[in-house]
Order: sequence, then C-alpha cells, then structure tokens
Amino acid sequence: MTRKKVKLAYITNDSARKATFKKRKKGLMKKVSELSTLCGIEACAIICSPYDTQPEVWPSPLGVQRVLSQFQKLPEMEQCKKMVNQESFLRQRITKANEHLKKQRKDNREKEVTHAMFQCLTGKSLQNLNLMDLNDLGWMVDRNLKEINKRSDSLKNVTISQMAAGPSGEHPSQRAEVPAFEENNDNMHRQQWFMDLLTPQEPLGFGGPDEMMLPFVDNNQNPPWSNTFFP
Amino acid sequence: MARKSRGRQKVEMVKMSKESNLQVTFSKRRSGLFKKASELSTLCGAEIAIIVFSPGNRVFSFGHPGVENVIDRYFTRNPPQNSGTMQLIEAHRNATVRELNMQLTQAVNQFEIEKKRGEELSQMRKAGQSQSWWEAPIEELTLPQIEQLKVSLEGLKMNVTKQAQKLLIENPGPPQFFASSSSGGIFPYDRKAGGFNPNMVLPHYDYNNPGYRRGFF
Repeated sequence: MTRKKVKLAYITNDSARKATFKKRKKGLMKKVSELSTLCGIEACAIICSPYDTQPEVWPSPLGVQRVLSQFQKLPEMEQCKKMVNQESFLRQRITKANEHLKKQRKDNREKEVTHAMFQCLTGKSLQNLNLMDLNDLGWMVDRNLKEINKRSDSLKNVTISQMAAGPSGEHPSQRAEVPAFEENNDNMHRQQWFMDLLTPQEPLGFGGPDEMMLPFVDNNQNPPWSNTFFP
Repeated sequence: MARKSRGRQKVEMVKMSKESNLQVTFSKRRSGLFKKASELSTLCGAEIAIIVFSPGNRVFSFGHPGVENVIDRYFTRNPPQNSGTMQLIEAHRNATVRELNMQLTQAVNQFEIEKKRGEELSQMRKAGQSQSWWEAPIEELTLPQIEQLKVSLEGLKMNVTKQAQKLLIENPGPPQFFASSSSGGIFPYDRKAGGFNPNMVLPHYDYNNPGYRRGFF
C-alpha cells in the first residue's frame, strides 16, 4: 500500500498503468462485494479495459444480468435520478470540497479573532488591524460580553434561589448558550455595532484599580495597570 | 478516548445488524466506491459501470463514459465505434474530466492547508487556556473572575471602537471602507450572510504574504 499521493491524471507509463489497473480493479471488486454483503443490497460492476477482450464483472455474468434487468425495469426517471458519470461526479465532489473549505476557513477565522482578542486583552496594540479586523474583533468582544452577562445572571439566580429555597433548593445553572459564529441572530446587532461607530460614544469608565485586574492597556489615556499578576 | 469511526478496525463481513448503522455505512461506502471507480477511470482509462440498490431500494449508478454506454457495450459485445465524431466527443470529454480533476485536487489541497492551520490554532488555544485563566470557557470561571473579565472586555471594546473611528476619519467614505479587503465594498454589512460573512475572509488568505497573518494574529 503506497502512502505517496497519487496524481489524479492518466498514467502515461504503460507498465505502471497496467500494474495500477490490476491492483485497483481488484480493490474495486472487493469494495463492491463488501458493500453488498454489509448492507444486504444488490449491486453489480462492469469493467472494460484495453488489457482484456472480455469485460470483467462482479458478481458474475448471471448476477450482472439479474441486476441489470432489475435496473432496466425501473422507469427512466428513477434510473437517471442518481446516475452520474465522471463529469457530474467530479463536479459534485468539487462542490463538496469547496463547502468543506469554506467552513474550515470560517472556523479558522473565528479562532484567529478569538486569539487576537486575548492578545489585545493583555496589551497588544490595535495599530495593525484594518477596519475589517476591528469589526470582527468588536463582534467577538460583544459576543463574549453577552455570554458573560448570561452566565453571571444565571450564577446570581442560583445564589438567590439557593438562599431562598434553603439547602434543598435547586436551580440547575444553565449552560450559557454559545451562539454559533454563523447562526448569529443579531445580524442587525452586527450592523448596529458598526453604525454606532459613526455616532459619538460615551466613554466607559473603568472600575477602580484592583490588583486582580487583567492588565488592560489603554494606549490613548490611562496608564497601564500595575499588576501583581503579570509582571 | 472512544473512537468515533471504525476506520482501521476490522469489520466482519456479514450483514450489519443495526439498521441505522447500515444506512450510514451504505451511504459512506457507496460514495467511496464511486470515488474509487472514478479514480480507476482517470488513472487507467478504464470504462466502468457500477449499479447499486440502496437499502431503501433507490438505485445509484456510476458510469464512464456513461452507464448506458457501458451496458450496451457489454450486451452487444461490439467494439466501440471509432468514427471521427466519436473521437472528437471523447477528446472533449477527456479534456473536461482532466480539468475537473485538477480543480478537485486544488480544492482538496487548499482544504488540507486550512485544516492544518485549524489544528495549529486549536493547539494555541489549548496552550493559552492552561496558562491564562481568562482564556478558559466562561462556564469554568468564578463570578469574581467573570466580573473582572467583563470590565476588561468592555475596556477593549471601547478601544476597538476608538481605533475604528480613527480609521474611519482617516479614510472617509464607505467606498474606501473595505479598500484593503478588495471584496468590493459590502457596507454596512452583508445582510444575506446571516452574520459573519466568510467571503470577506478571502483577502486575508494571502499565502504569498505570510507576514500579515503571523504578524498580528
């Protein structure tokens, strides 16, 4: 079993091609057989090559006959519905591959932005970010704030209800629901976030210095917090 | 750690007992089977037809150059006609398939690259979580920690806003808004994308300029 990546193109070397054909044809027949057995279904395969005058078939000429007549008895529409050739099959695969690619890029982008957020929380400058990055970063911060608020509310509710209900009281603290990066219902929220940029914001006051505070550095105004946590 | 799939494990060659597993197996293996057939056609120029009936009695078929084609040839045992027109058609078809195979290879390669990047990022996050308490999932934080984190995040938000306003002032006008992104300006935001618009991400994926990505993110 080779572990080298095989280029998806016609093999020009005659002997290599013939060897590959033999191996892969055998493998293909095995796979059809397994599929049929494991799933208890009818199947057949016909392989024609320049190396054999007779086509090679699975399961047997009789078996092929059986499956073919079953196939041809079906209305044409049913036959064609899930029929593919090289071209259509490859197009399907390309589409799927592109979908996977898109999703992976989206996931990666989310991870990158999250990473950036944590870096900025500990003092990294915002200078190198363009508007798109800033927008995504702001969105991510907002999402985290939302989750925090939800979580802190539910924690506070647990405390209150525990106090109210006594030792037996129970309010399962809810897992903060994390909205998926894509399923953000706050589409308007996102646009709103950016629109807000165009209107003057009231500067948020910082809480008093607290030695457990994250060393958030405000480049414009406040001096960096001195912090015992982070030298 | 429990395995999700049974890859690289030996599977007994008998009909599967669990109906739900059977359907999934059929789906996956049928797909893999067609993939192998496609590769065999491409690599060796073989003509192939495969017909399978699903557990639900739907029929799936793959054929190169076409299912009907191969079936006819099988029954009539006639050598394929080799008129000039047929050759032309075949040449055209082969060229198309060649092109598609290249596109497929490209897409798969790009995906592999992104996947690897994703794993790197996950590693980074894991490392970060073990070092810094604020990187942990919010459910794991105590109330005082959450309150602190909240203040810091609000501070960050303010700074991000300020910085964005600064940039907006320096580059007035929506058309230039996304000038750096070359995505054609979708101000204020692409409503159709339902939130995060992954198409806007594309400009970042400049593999010839790795400095950008490594530099900040």
